[in-house]
Amino acid sequence: MQRFLNPDVLAGISGLELIAKTVVQGFVSGLHRSPNFGFSQEFAEYQSYTPGDDLRYVDWNVYARSDRLYLKRYRGETNTLLTVLLDASNSMKYTSHAVTKMDYARYAAASLFYLTSQMQRDAAGLIVFDDELRDYIRPSTRQGQLHRLLAALDRAEPRARTDFAKPILHFQDMLRRRGFVVLISDFYDDPEKIVRAAEPMRFHGNEVLFFHVLDPQELRPKLREPMTLVDLETDEALEVTPDYAQHEYRAKMDAHVKLLSEKVRAAGMEYKLLQTDLPLDDALREFLTLRQGRL
Amino acid sequence: MGLLAPWFLAGALALGLPVYLHMLRRHKNTPHPFSSLMFFERRTQSSIKHRRLRYLLLLSLRLALLLLLVLAFANPFINRPAAALAGDKLLLLAIDDTFSMRAGTRLADARSQARAVVDARGPSDRVQVLALDSTVRILTQPTRDAGTLRAAIDSVQPGDAHATLDSLARVVRSIGESVRTPIELHLFSDMQKSSMPASFGEIALPANVSLLLHPVARDAPANFVVEAVSAPGQVWDTKKARVQAVIAGYHSSAAKRTVSLVVAGKTIATRTADVPAGGRATVEFDSLEVPYGFTRCEVRIDSADSLPDDDVARFAVERTDPKRVLFVREPTDSRSELYFRSALVSAAEAAFTVESVPVNQVSALQPTQAQYAFVVLSDLLSTPAPFEQALTKYVRDGGGVWVSIGTSAARAPSVPVFGGRIIDSRSYARDGARFVSVGQVDPAYPSVEQADRWAGVKFFFAVRVDPGDATVAARLSDQTPILLEKKIGEGRVVLFTSGLDNVTNDFPQKPIWVPLVDRTARYLSGTESRSGSRVVDSFLELRTAKERSVSVEVTDPDGKRPLSLSEASTAENYQLTRAGFYELRLASGRRDMVGVNPDRRESDLSQISGEALALWSGKGGAQAEQAAAVDPAAAGQTAPYGVWWYIMLLVCLAAVAESVFSGQYLGTQREGS
Repeated sequence: MQRFLNPDVLAGISGLELIAKTVVQGFVSGLHRSPNFGFSQEFAEYQSYTPGDDLRYVDWNVYARSDRLYLKRYRGETNTLLTVLLDASNSMKYTSHAVTKMDYARYAAASLFYLTSQMQRDAAGLIVFDDELRDYIRPSTRQGQLHRLLAALDRAEPRARTDFAKPILHFQDMLRRRGFVVLISDFYDDPEKIVRAAEPMRFHGNEVLFFHVLDPQELRPKLREPMTLVDLETDEALEVTPDYAQHEYRAKMDAHVKLLSEKVRAAGMEYKLLQTDLPLDDALREFLTLRQGRL
Repeated sequence: MGLLAPWFLAGALALGLPVYLHMLRRHKNTPHPFSSLMFFERRTQSSIKHRRLRYLLLLSLRLALLLLLVLAFANPFINRPAAALAGDKLLLLAIDDTFSMRAGTRLADARSQARAVVDARGPSDRVQVLALDSTVRILTQPTRDAGTLRAAIDSVQPGDAHATLDSLARVVRSIGESVRTPIELHLFSDMQKSSMPASFGEIALPANVSLLLHPVARDAPANFVVEAVSAPGQVWDTKKARVQAVIAGYHSSAAKRTVSLVVAGKTIATRTADVPAGGRATVEFDSLEVPYGFTRCEVRIDSADSLPDDDVARFAVERTDPKRVLFVREPTDSRSELYFRSALVSAAEAAFTVESVPVNQVSALQPTQAQYAFVVLSDLLSTPAPFEQALTKYVRDGGGVWVSIGTSAARAPSVPVFGGRIIDSRSYARDGARFVSVGQVDPAYPSVEQADRWAGVKFFFAVRVDPGDATVAARLSDQTPILLEKKIGEGRVVLFTSGLDNVTNDFPQKPIWVPLVDRTARYLSGTESRSGSRVVDSFLELRTAKERSVSVEVTDPDGKRPLSLSEASTAENYQLTRAGFYELRLASGRRDMVGVNPDRRESDLSQISGEALALWSGKGGAQAEQAAAVDPAAAGQTAPYGVWWYIMLLVCLAAVAESVFSGQYLGTQREGS
């Protein structure tokens, strides 16, 4: 199953649900019996019954012994909320191989949704943005939520430019409930500005995870000759030399990645660089590590 | 500096093509999308500079290539001082090593004079040594190395061939076309008259060749030679064999010469020939006692002149048992056999016995080449089918058949073995004309001798046959073919469309009848092609088309085998390059021997006239004036010196450089795309 985590293989599968299912099941089956990530009915705690709670979770054995009503809670049943913020700007269209950055982001988001809503019965929502808020699926555990999320992912075609500050202001209203916020983008902006825009989400008590999606050609561009490059977002054309791409560009890009990760972590958030030619299990592992830490 | 063909400069218009293409390519720039140019900086100046530099280099190479090509076609030249050109010349030393150079010390004189020329040459002169044989042999490449030249000169040995000067002129013309420097041709020869070609134009030399003659003989000494020997190649009855020899004297006074017939190294007969002054005498030996098999024979004279090598004439004789000839006739026909047998027996050289068989007794006969030399079908009304099939196979395997059609065979629908359809028969005796005579005769046909005497033969009856693809050797005056030949497989069929008797024609009563039968018999039996003597440089046929992979064997006069293993299995001909006896084993398995003699024209030591030599060497006449007109050194002017080949060299270099650069560029483009 592990090979189905390879993005090039996933690109040949039609339907995000199938992709997500393939990825998650492949990932889970690869976990064996890891003590860190439990999805089974592992006991977590007892909680006092309050009127309105579901009687199905009452531990009747304890009631028989102590004549008190307690709800038995398991790790897998803790209430969490996942909101994925997906950057759908034009720069996400870029690719140097079979999978675009947007596709890779979709696969990652779909896998997270599948993991959350199908396997853990948690609420999941989606916000698609570029320089504006483009689509919003409110987090929910309702029947059919996964299909709504996947449909929204399908609709999310890259266009326009990225602007983090403006749409995140709107997110504040939408993210009142605490939970996980996964921000998937290529983060072509000033790291300071990005972190500043995302910090309020953290202040609201959310666990914020940055998935930095980049194509290998963006990290290590290889040019054979001078050529004209056109910015996908601004349409600006620039003639560049192989020498510059090999040395100065790489240095700048490495500095940008490093600065962003430092700033993100300094702000109490998590950062993960995802290369579109590598399997998706890194993204899932990072998410579960974060979730484990939260519980 | 100038241009010999300036109109080719119009080709310079083609220079616009690479300029146009490079301009187009400069404007072609495919943009590549990228997610963000946030971390890129504009470095256009350096990149375009880099690209332009490479483009300009490629463009300039292409322009240079075209320009040089146009220039080369325009044939540029520079004017160089004539003295400089004359100083850098090529000396061709042609040493005559033909048979006549064996006389006296001619060849040794020629070699010493050639060595003197090598010693006296200028320091920048290059020298090439040639040997003038039946072909011109190039002994060295142009060189300044005196040791090489001396070795080449010393290696020239007297040959047995006959040469004419036109072959030398052809080679010199060819060298003159490829060498731009002046050429000095030194000819070391006895200037034999027989070496002059029929036309003086054939020995004309190009303008850049000056001829210097080095005659090694001042006069023509008296020379006696065995000019010709007439002897049979095969002998059946040694008593009947005759040997005739013609003794010639060139520039000689009347003299008596002793002529000896030498068989296998032993003199068996001697005659005296009275050779008139500058004339010829014939002597005859009336028997040739030779043992069975091949025998080496010679006719020698005691001349004691300056060219003793031509005092002997070699020939080989094979003594065999007489061969059988199958003569098939109608049972009632006895005349044709009588005339045919009489003619064949009368022929001194034909070693045949006639075996006459009536046609009603031949059904079971299966003739083979080992049994019969050839087969005669004389006026057969009908031929038994099995016999005809056997005969056809006999011919296909290389046998010969002579078919005659008289009054009986004329009633058959077609000619047996020959296969031609009989159209009709003509009985001239019943017509008013009573007879017709021969209208056309091919004198080159082997059966035909003294063609002019055929006209006296009267034909009273003849059959018209559809010749098809047969060769017609003779026709009657009414165009009826009378003698035809058709090749079937490896053999041949000769058709005589009249009878072999004196009823249908009076051929058997004419003196020309015996030579016809004799020559046709020899032609059909294959002995015609065998001759006991040949001339140097003639060719021997070693195999037929059918005998492709069979090995042959040639043994030269020294007893060596000159053919390599591969040549022995593939060579179809062999050139007899030396005088002496050659032994052969042909592809057919037959052994043969030939005596090879030098061309007797070499024995006439008369020299080319002084006027002709002066005309040839340009010291007189119009050619001398022409030579003087084009001789730049004599005029004291500059001479054009073509430089197009240098330019072509540059073209090649530019083409290689362009190929390398464009290959790199295109390779980069391909990888980039």
